[in-house]
Amino acid sequence: MMRTIIATILKELLELRRDRAGLMVLLVMPMALVLILSLVQDSVMQATGEAPIKVLLADNDNGFLGQAIRDRLREAGGLELVTSINGSAVTEETARKAVARGDFQFGVVIPKGSGEALRRRMRTLATASLSTGKNAQAAPLEPSSVPGLAVHFDPAVQGAFRTAVINALRQVLLGIEMTERAAAFSETLPAELKKIVGESIPTWPGMSGAITVPDIRFDMDTTPVLKLTETVALGGRYLKRPTAAQHNVPAWTLFGMFFIVVPLSGSLIRERQSGTYRKLMAMPVSQTGLLAGKIVAYVIVCIAQFALMLAVGVWLLPLLGTSGLVPGREFLVVAPIALAAALAAAGYGIMVGTLSRSYEQASMFGAVSVVIAAALGGIMVPVYVMPRIMQRISTLSPLAWGLNGFQDVFVRGGSLGSAGADIFRLLAFFAVTVIISRIAIRGADNG
Amino acid sequence: MNPAPVLEVRRLVKRYRGSDVPAVDGLDFTVREGEIFGLLGPNGAGKTTAISIICTVLRPTAGSVSICSVDISKNPSEARKLFGLAPQEIALYTTLTARENLRYFGRLYGLSGRNLSERTEACLALAGLEGSGDKRVDTFSGGMKRRANLAAAILHAPRLLLLDEPTVGIDAQSRNMILENLSALRKAGTTIVYTTHYMEEAEQICDRVAVMDRGRIVAEGAPADLIGEAEDCDNLEQLFLRLTGKQLRD
Repeated sequence: MMRTIIATILKELLELRRDRAGLMVLLVMPMALVLILSLVQDSVMQATGEAPIKVLLADNDNGFLGQAIRDRLREAGGLELVTSINGSAVTEETARKAVARGDFQFGVVIPKGSGEALRRRMRTLATASLSTGKNAQAAPLEPSSVPGLAVHFDPAVQGAFRTAVINALRQVLLGIEMTERAAAFSETLPAELKKIVGESIPTWPGMSGAITVPDIRFDMDTTPVLKLTETVALGGRYLKRPTAAQHNVPAWTLFGMFFIVVPLSGSLIRERQSGTYRKLMAMPVSQTGLLAGKIVAYVIVCIAQFALMLAVGVWLLPLLGTSGLVPGREFLVVAPIALAAALAAAGYGIMVGTLSRSYEQASMFGAVSVVIAAALGGIMVPVYVMPRIMQRISTLSPLAWGLNGFQDVFVRGGSLGSAGADIFRLLAFFAVTVIISRIAIRGADNG
Repeated sequence: MNPAPVLEVRRLVKRYRGSDVPAVDGLDFTVREGEIFGLLGPNGAGKTTAISIICTVLRPTAGSVSICSVDISKNPSEARKLFGLAPQEIALYTTLTARENLRYFGRLYGLSGRNLSERTEACLALAGLEGSGDKRVDTFSGGMKRRANLAAAILHAPRLLLLDEPTVGIDAQSRNMILENLSALRKAGTTIVYTTHYMEEAEQICDRVAVMDRGRIVAEGAPADLIGEAEDCDNLEQLFLRLTGKQLRD
């Protein structure tokens, strides 16, 4: 049996070496996917939280409001304000044009006089909020005349991204408004109270002098009392911020691994069509040995793919100026996950090759089924953003098991124990596909 | 004294699933050591099915086959060591060279080291491919592919050689070479069973032939005897058409 396995491994590897198109599919395609998607998604991840979003600011007010907005946004760290383009101060017109061209995704305009108008309004509100018996029936307040901030945005910006930016700005404005309101109260309330108290104290005949009302101070602390603390759910263990590479490298490596379904099933079908299968079946060799030889050869290819993709993730991506793959603490745990995924992929290739009637059928079905399994398995879009029904279906995809196992190690700092269930699922999948293939082969041989 | 039987086929029947008519229906013949036995018949006569059963690729519905007294149903692994098969198709890996193909099949037959190298070179030489051993099979002409197919079947020096239409679709030179090789193998003691559509070829090299039609043997014997026994038949082709009819078999 060993002789058959070794001879078949050597023959399969030799055939693969000669099949340049097949090698392109197996090695170059996943590498290109990892590179392109990591580079593209890294900027998306940065734009959605990893790095500040650049927002143009046209400050026509030139007063305290613009400064307060700048200070608060700098403190929050979510948005980075750009106040000049090519050395010229940003105006409403240049901001609108730059956003329309797609050079910037957002432009904020602070209208002229808005800061002073805000302060006036706050003082009016503070005064109006103190009512005594005499002025309780005062006429209703006039509507606000404070000019609002305008936000221009690129129509290509996705909804959630836009909402995040608008919310960040709203929060800043609310903070400024709170501070101004408190300041208006601090300024107005003591004088008003003194006036009201002074007017309320009766005077008696023979009083030596007027009663002095003491000075009243009103200093309101606007520091937030209810605080929000972000914590990554790792139970205090190894903490690493997820990057595009940490998703893309294992995800597209798995995709590439499962793509061996095309050359592997093709190899089986070519053997059937060329008569070599018939010849092999008439030789004193075990069918198990022949299948094992094929499986081992393609597992070797998958492991080579995996090693290459890791190298791309760890060394090449940082050279291209994007976040690279940072291997987790239990890095060696990825080896059994990769091996289990490679076996699952090889088993699937054998099954597709056995059940298909033609090369076209196998390559079409094989490729499409892998793309579907990849989409369901969270390779293209993370499973947690999928609808609930799709999340349930996703648990059936072997690529989801593999990806979850890798993410356990790369992002969640997992161990062999935590990835054990995924490894078991992949091995079970391999066993099932090989059993189905053996049954199908036996049925065909019996005529 | 008759030479020992190498292949014994007894009341062989093969009925494919879903088919009412048996592809092989009570086949019964013996091939003795050193014989070239021709299995002739029109398309669909059951020749390839018979060869497939003899080479253990298909299981018979009924009957038995023994190769050198080894029952192929009871001991297929042992039987497979005794014969070599050159299927109708070119059973070679086309992206590999002829030498790489032979070395792979040789390893599967248990050959290794010097023995493997010597047998590979000897078979390449026998097939007239000694100068083309390092060329990929997909660059070969039809005749070269057929000769390489034959070389892959005799690597382990089998006692019985099963050839399914080994000369189909090739030029006269390659055909001549293959026929000469078969004669040389026979002289070296190899027993050969082969199917063909070429009556002239069968008449030229076969010691005995069996004409099959609709899964049964309709005539069996030495070509000269069969021609002599039939009236108004000057050659095997005329006899063949008389036995199997002139209607087309698609």
